[in-house]
Amino acid sequence: MRNIVQVQDLHHTYLPGTPFEAVSLRGVDMEVAEREIAAIIGPTGSGKSTLIQHFNALIRPQMGKVIIDGQDLSDGNLDVRALRRDVGMVFQTPEQQLFEQYVGDDIAFGPRNSGFDATEVRRRVRKAMEMVGLGFEEFKDRLTFSLSGGEMRKVAIAGVLALEPKILILDEPTCGLDPGTSRELLCRIRELHDNQGVTIILVSHNMEDVAQLADRIYVLVDGQTVLDGTPRQIFSQPQSLRDYSLDVPQATQVMHGLRSRGREVRGDILTVCEAEEEICRCFGFAEGGGTGVT
Amino acid sequence: MSEISAFRHVTIGQYLPYGSLVHRFDPRAKLVMFTLLVATVTFADSYTASLLLLAVLLGITHLSRVPLRYALQGLRPALPWIAIFATLQLLFYKGQAGGQECQILWSWGFIDITTCSVRLVALMVPRLLEFMILISLLTLTTSTTELTHGLERLLSPLKRLRFPAHELALVFTIALRFAPTFAQELEKIMKAQASRGADFGEQGRLRFIQRTRNTLPLMVPLFLSALRRAEDLSLAMEARGYTGGQGRTSFIQLKAAPQDCVAVAVVCCFSAFILLHDFTALDELVVGTLGNLTRVAFSCVGH
Repeated sequence: MRNIVQVQDLHHTYLPGTPFEAVSLRGVDMEVAEREIAAIIGPTGSGKSTLIQHFNALIRPQMGKVIIDGQDLSDGNLDVRALRRDVGMVFQTPEQQLFEQYVGDDIAFGPRNSGFDATEVRRRVRKAMEMVGLGFEEFKDRLTFSLSGGEMRKVAIAGVLALEPKILILDEPTCGLDPGTSRELLCRIRELHDNQGVTIILVSHNMEDVAQLADRIYVLVDGQTVLDGTPRQIFSQPQSLRDYSLDVPQATQVMHGLRSRGREVRGDILTVCEAEEEICRCFGFAEGGGTGVT
Repeated sequence: MSEISAFRHVTIGQYLPYGSLVHRFDPRAKLVMFTLLVATVTFADSYTASLLLLAVLLGITHLSRVPLRYALQGLRPALPWIAIFATLQLLFYKGQAGGQECQILWSWGFIDITTCSVRLVALMVPRLLEFMILISLLTLTTSTTELTHGLERLLSPLKRLRFPAHELALVFTIALRFAPTFAQELEKIMKAQASRGADFGEQGRLRFIQRTRNTLPLMVPLFLSALRRAEDLSLAMEARGYTGGQGRTSFIQLKAAPQDCVAVAVVCCFSAFILLHDFTALDELVVGTLGNLTRVAFSCVGH
């Protein structure tokens, strides 16, 4: 499958030439294939946010290359608005950027800026709201600032989805949400990928989320990509992740713990479900029943 | 999108912790010296005094280890205005300067360039440089905490007259403390809205209503976050027992060291000298030398 995002030897320095100069990226390489879910993990200050802001030209490459869907972002004649329609960006705590009085208007902000007519805007708003699980008729005329935190987050995400992007970038999408809402949101993201074929780039500190969603993981440390591979490859090296002050999912941790006590279990378990099956197999418990966790 | 990141470049008032002699002065002493020097720069009215002041300020900048280019950075956005202002003064100023008779150097219609207008502009440029250096020096070498403590202590004698010195200092601290936070917040919101196709500043200069409407997606979230922060801050302060300035003691005890008194005394003498000494003779020397130099330069070019 072709690569929709290509990053080669990307460098970025904030405020170069001042006493506040700070090097953020020092040679990042990554590739994301079309229709893939890629996750970027890394400790605080490793340059994750700087990296993803390159993907819709909020930051232009200082050194190195970023190519999105065949367009070189170093090109001065780049059509930035067209690019931003193709690459949707959901920032951390996106509910803080809501500004319209009514939910529908806020979601329509992007499509209206793109100059679509009223019917098209309406169609996009309806579709985007359904994708995040907000009923169009029920929510479109609700007051934005009377919603709950989880609903506001969904409205903000719908506001980006209404642009119908080919690539969706999510920075810590479940941060600060209750477990139920986070689980629902992750399912919606998964559906978006499966049904609409959207390429997804996810930044997260939550290893469970990453393990559950990602096809491929990039580990960013100190402005460089230090590891990349499938979740099973990455999470089977708990020690090197811990050295970078990261961790593996709890289910994987349990399995590694059992292995270190001499139990013959697989070390590449990612989810609670898999762990449950593996433990049952190893200890000879009967199948069936279960916690029902998916 | 350089215009979005430009918000990070607001560097006036960013403390540079270099720990030089200038940094270590008592903030009260620095405030007094700052006020004295600002007054001196404002009232100094001769070339020699202006050059002397500039030399002294450059010396202090060197002592403080603040890069000069950095200290003058805040001047850049003002440059076009300064240029316009200087041109207007040069062409249209009709008054007196320095108590001397004005001689017309060049005249065309209602435009007169006189020795007075040249003098005015020649004094204005170093004066602006000096103001910029002074403001940068104060804010770059003094942390906001020091600055506000200094201000509060300096104003505290006025408390007897029911002057709210503590409250004023607190408002000042909070405002300074949150300026960079809001700059960052604004940058984040701008980026988020730009991702949704918002357009800032490319709409044509005359469409005021359109331009004002375009700031709504920035202003609403920014005000909301400011209000939220204000509420959080007041709660956090009350939770830690804040009840206002009454009977409040301070962790930072300002103690004036001998070098502070010496520095203030030196600045006092220097200001008095600049303001009281008559520089007319020296000025003529300066102007004469400059004139001779230009003549020599012209004759060299002529040959």
